[in-house]
Amino acid sequence: MKIMVCIKQVPHQDARLDVNGAGNWIAEDNIKFEINLYDQHALEAALALKDKDASTEVVVVSVGPERVTQSLRTALGMGADRAVHVKDAAAEGSDALGTAKILAAIGKAESPDMIFAGFMADDGNFAAVGPMLATLLGVPHTTTAVSFAKENGTVRVERELEGGALEVVELKTPCLVTTQTGMNQVRYASLKGIMAAKKKPIDVKSVADLGLAGQVGEAAAKVKVEKLYTPAKGQGAEMLSGSVDEVVGKLVAKIKELGLL
Amino acid sequence: MGSILVVAEIQKGKIREASYELVSFARKIGAATHRDVKSLVMGQGAQAHAEEMAKKGGGEVYLADAAELANYSLDAAFAAVKAAVAAASADIVLLSNTPTGWDLAPRIGAALDAAFVPDCFNAEVEGGELVFFRRFFNGKLDSRLRPTALPIVATMQPGATAAFEGSADGKVTPLAVSIGACGTQFVELKVAEAKGVDLTKADIIVSGGRSLGGPEKFQEVIKPLADALGGAMGASRPVVDAGWLPHEYQVGSSGQVVAPKLYVACGISGAIQHLVGMKTSNFIIAINKDADAPIFEVANLGVVGDLFEVVPKLTAAVKTAKG
Repeated sequence: MKIMVCIKQVPHQDARLDVNGAGNWIAEDNIKFEINLYDQHALEAALALKDKDASTEVVVVSVGPERVTQSLRTALGMGADRAVHVKDAAAEGSDALGTAKILAAIGKAESPDMIFAGFMADDGNFAAVGPMLATLLGVPHTTTAVSFAKENGTVRVERELEGGALEVVELKTPCLVTTQTGMNQVRYASLKGIMAAKKKPIDVKSVADLGLAGQVGEAAAKVKVEKLYTPAKGQGAEMLSGSVDEVVGKLVAKIKELGLL
Repeated sequence: MGSILVVAEIQKGKIREASYELVSFARKIGAATHRDVKSLVMGQGAQAHAEEMAKKGGGEVYLADAAELANYSLDAAFAAVKAAVAAASADIVLLSNTPTGWDLAPRIGAALDAAFVPDCFNAEVEGGELVFFRRFFNGKLDSRLRPTALPIVATMQPGATAAFEGSADGKVTPLAVSIGACGTQFVELKVAEAKGVDLTKADIIVSGGRSLGGPEKFQEVIKPLADALGGAMGASRPVVDAGWLPHEYQVGSSGQVVAPKLYVACGISGAIQHLVGMKTSNFIIAINKDADAPIFEVANLGVVGDLFEVVPKLTAAVKTAKG
């Protein structure tokens, strides 16, 4: 069995985000990046299948600049077999559909039995690329999986709805499942794994290699981010200042005033 | 000019409130761009729902009625939307950002080779062109997006605007949908189990986030304050995902939606899915080391500081005040 896992490198969860000079993205200098949390769960779901059947091949795929190599090495260190990295300035600025087209070109070449992707990326929060990829490949999909079981050619997924409700769905493979956080406990790369990863291949592709010249990237994007900005504060909170003791005194006074003490 | 198609949802036996909110957005866009607003109701035996939609939302309401649509099925819903888009000559399709919307909308977007703008909190028409507003980075930044081509497929956040009500021009049109083999089969719905911890009944909730650093810190820092106040302990999603606390402690759209008299958020940055679960609390105190954390937008009182310093002192002060 071959499993394709789509991963995205995003700013670290605790990174301080400032808008760039052009006002349409964040300033990426001096911030740490990591594998998108949802995608870590996608990778773990694939590796768990490989644990059960060692003949399974796990291929991680990512689109992005040079820095993405580090995340692919991490994924290989965790146990993926090989990686495909679409590293091309012509891919930059793609909208979700553009990225899905790039991944679909790889999906067609790889012809995996199963595809995992994170439900959304922690940067744009679009939650679109996975289902769009499935659509372009003509395979079924489901989203926000919190549990996953595969038996022969059938996949059974519990997908998360609102308020703790779950919907159980079955899909025939090949199919694509997007993973919700908390679906599994993500493993760490072992030292042995990290050493082994150094010998595992990362296949670098350009947009032209995929036959998509002119079809993806910023110029082809049908959605432009015109402006990124700090949210309007509304009335917001009254911010308390002073020493910790003073602040605590004010909090207690307020709780009393609310009649809760 | 094409039309605007609103994809309505039936939930718990009636048209979802969010569907009427879509009508509000659609009518605003339609009035400014000279487009008719039409809608799609899909289900099994859903004639009454379609009539309700026509009465309340107005416009032409397509009714896709089939056994395959009794429960949400990706393929069946996709077939119904495609048929409705064609029947309506729609070049703008609006769905709600709900479990159905986020599953279905990107598939429609890709199939139509559309400009796709999900999870928006507003849509405006400026100089005849549409712009959409949505959050990035889990609410830390907002964005203004411009689709540069038609068709447009957009999803809107439930609650982003008031529901449209009252129109006299509605009519129901049956829509023939050919539904082929389904690659994604609905099996069953599991409703949320009864909670051992019912946070919805608590008057006071003290919640902790990922920055607590580990499960023991909830017992050492959060629970003592909750106990001192006579309240309950809650948590944000990452805490539950990490297995520090069971799911029943989770506050948020995928956990419990609460509105206590007092909500104390400790080390919670305020991801949208958490805010949805607690922002209607009567009074909110937020303690966070990041002054830009979105939690301060919904809080009444904010403290920028180290929760490990502030919370234990607050616990002690509450105990003293209670005597």
